[in-house]
Parts: sequence; C-alpha cells; structure tokens
Amino acid sequence: MKEIVRPAVVLLIITAVAAMLLGIVSETTKAAIAEQSAKTEAEAMAAVMPEDGIEFETLYDVTVGDQLDGTIKKVAKAIKGGETIGYVLTTAPSGFGGEVSTMVGVDMDGVVTGLRVLSHAETPGLGALATSPDFYEQFVGAKSPVQVTKDGGEIVPITSATITSRAVSSGADEAVQWVNANGGAN
Amino acid sequence: MGNPVKIIKNGIIDENPTFSQVIGMCPTLAVTSSAINGIGMGLSTAAVLICSNLFISLLRKVIPDKVRIPCFIVVIATFVTIIQFLLQAYLPSLNASLGLYIPLIVVNCLILARAEAFASKNSPIDSIFDGIGMGLGFTVALGFLGLVREFIGAGTLFNVTVLPDAFPKTLLFVMAPGAFFTLGCLMALLNYFKNKKKA
Repeated sequence: MKEIVRPAVVLLIITAVAAMLLGIVSETTKAAIAEQSAKTEAEAMAAVMPEDGIEFETLYDVTVGDQLDGTIKKVAKAIKGGETIGYVLTTAPSGFGGEVSTMVGVDMDGVVTGLRVLSHAETPGLGALATSPDFYEQFVGAKSPVQVTKDGGEIVPITSATITSRAVSSGADEAVQWVNANGGAN
Repeated sequence: MGNPVKIIKNGIIDENPTFSQVIGMCPTLAVTSSAINGIGMGLSTAAVLICSNLFISLLRKVIPDKVRIPCFIVVIATFVTIIQFLLQAYLPSLNASLGLYIPLIVVNCLILARAEAFASKNSPIDSIFDGIGMGLGFTVALGFLGLVREFIGAGTLFNVTVLPDAFPKTLLFVMAPGAFFTLGCLMALLNYFKNKKKA
C-alpha cells in the first residue's frame, strides 16, 4: 500500500508546486507581455501608414468573433485630425510553409501606403526574404490588382520564391479590395 | 564532491552533448541556421539545464524511483515555461527568433539525460557545474554549427556580410539538409583529431 501511495503523493506535491509557480510567473509577466505585443503591433501599424499624428481604431478582429471575408484577420481605421485617412488590414494568405501574416496600409483611394510581413514559416534564404525592404518596399503605391510580374502585375517576385511573393501580393490585393468595397473614396 | 573544473571540462570537451553524446539533435538541427540562433538556443537550454539539474538534485532523495521520469519532466517543463514567459515579457527580439523552439527544450533529451544520469545521483553543487558544463558544451556546438551554416549558406557571420555578393552562396546549407552535412563533417573532423591524439 505504502509503495503506491508515496509516489502518488510526491508527484502530486511536485505538480501542485509547479502549477503554483507557473501561475505566479504568468500573472507577474502578463502586463509586460501584453505591452510588448501591443508595442510590436503599434510599430508595424505606424510603419505601413507613415503619417504623423495618426490614431488607430480597431474596427474588426476575427479573434474576438467578427466575421471577415477571405483571409483578412483584422481591420483598423487610421484617423488623423478627426478624419479617416485610410485603413490598416492584417491578412493571412497561404504561402509555401503556411500562413504569411501580412499587414497592409491602404489609403482612401485604395493605394497601398506600406506593407510588412509580420510572421511566417517560409524557407530561410528564399521565401523568408519577404521580410526584407527590397521586397516589401515595392508595394508602396500599388493599386488593385496587386499581382506579381508573372501574373501580369508589377511586383517583382523574390527569386525562387514565387509562391511566397504571390501570397504576399494576394494579401495586399485583398486589403485593397476590402477598402475599395467598404469605405474607400469611390 | 567532484572537481568543478573537471566537471565543466567534461561537459564542454570530453562528453560534449552534441559531438560526443549525440543527444538533443532536434533543436541542434532545427535552429542552427545562423550563429546567433544557435547561441541563443544554446544559452536558453543551458539556463534550463542548470535550474533543472539543481532542483532535481535537491529533490533526488524525495522523488521515488517509480515516478522519477514524470517528476523530472514536470520540473523541466516548469522552468521552460517560466523562461518563455520571461523572454516574451522582457526580451521580445530574442523571443521572435527563438519563440518557436523554446517549447522544444522540454523534450530535449539532453536535459532529461542529465537529470537521469547526473543530477539524480550527485550533490546540488556538482549538478550545477554539470549543468554549466553541458550547457556551455551545447552552446559552443550549436554556435559553431550555426556559424559554419550561416557562412556557407548566406555569406554572413553574426548577420554581418563577409562574402561579396558575387560569391555563390550555397542556400542548401541554411535549410535542413545543410544541418546534417555540417554536423556530419564537424563530427568526422573532431573524431579524426581525437583518434590522432590517442594513437
């Protein structure tokens, strides 16, 4: 009997202490983690919508249950001096190694103001180059349809990473079309 | 009590976890695409290893033999999760490149192997030194692998470009097969020198 009870009790105590420790650490780091992720997001938003003195207001977010078309995950309105000057959309088109989280800034005329790849699982040295300025700077000024040169558009794809380039382009295109349909000038 | 210098040297050279014991291969192959990633992963593993070795050694008389493996895993997983929280909160840039691999430390057999082979049989102080030695050995091995792969595959060292653009880069080396090639070649080289010394 003792041989069965003792291991069980010891294991129970160890797991209970571990759970308590984790609870404490989780609580103490919660605020700092939330702050970090908010900061990262704010930096990315400011990068795709390079304007001074703008504020962002989240309109839709699929993580809180909003319904959005296609791969659009989040829509935020960019406001400057009380006026809406554009939108920042986060899309998740499928790349070569899974979803490529792409943040796109679009102004009221449906023109891309900036683009950043936030997270991805593309091949290092090939598709992963989507995070380099040489690639994403091309999107500034793009209008619908945003396509790679192979498909008749103007985006020069990354060498040997057409699938990734197409994914990012389609994410940008989705964002532009959403703005055209939902709040653009026309 | 053993000699600390000897225990540390044992971890780095004589029983190097990667090149001699060949354990913990999963993170070794996955994260060494650049020197920084390799060293980062090595140091995080070392931190977990030192903590887990210390605690398992302290608990070695309390933990019954029958449930020792689940106990070790709980202790290891707790430290890994704590480190993950701390990285997310205070070192976001390191977290961005290593975040995916941190949970892998839980199943890194290096840590479980040291818990089983060393910490559960030795004093807490010796166990800390074993953690330092093995952790550093792992860091050196991963850093070196990353350095070689980064140089051949991307022409950079610690993200600084060293090879001219015109120089052909063997992209294969930053991808999975490159990890195996590099590891194989380094291991062969080290064994060559080891055998030569013996002869």
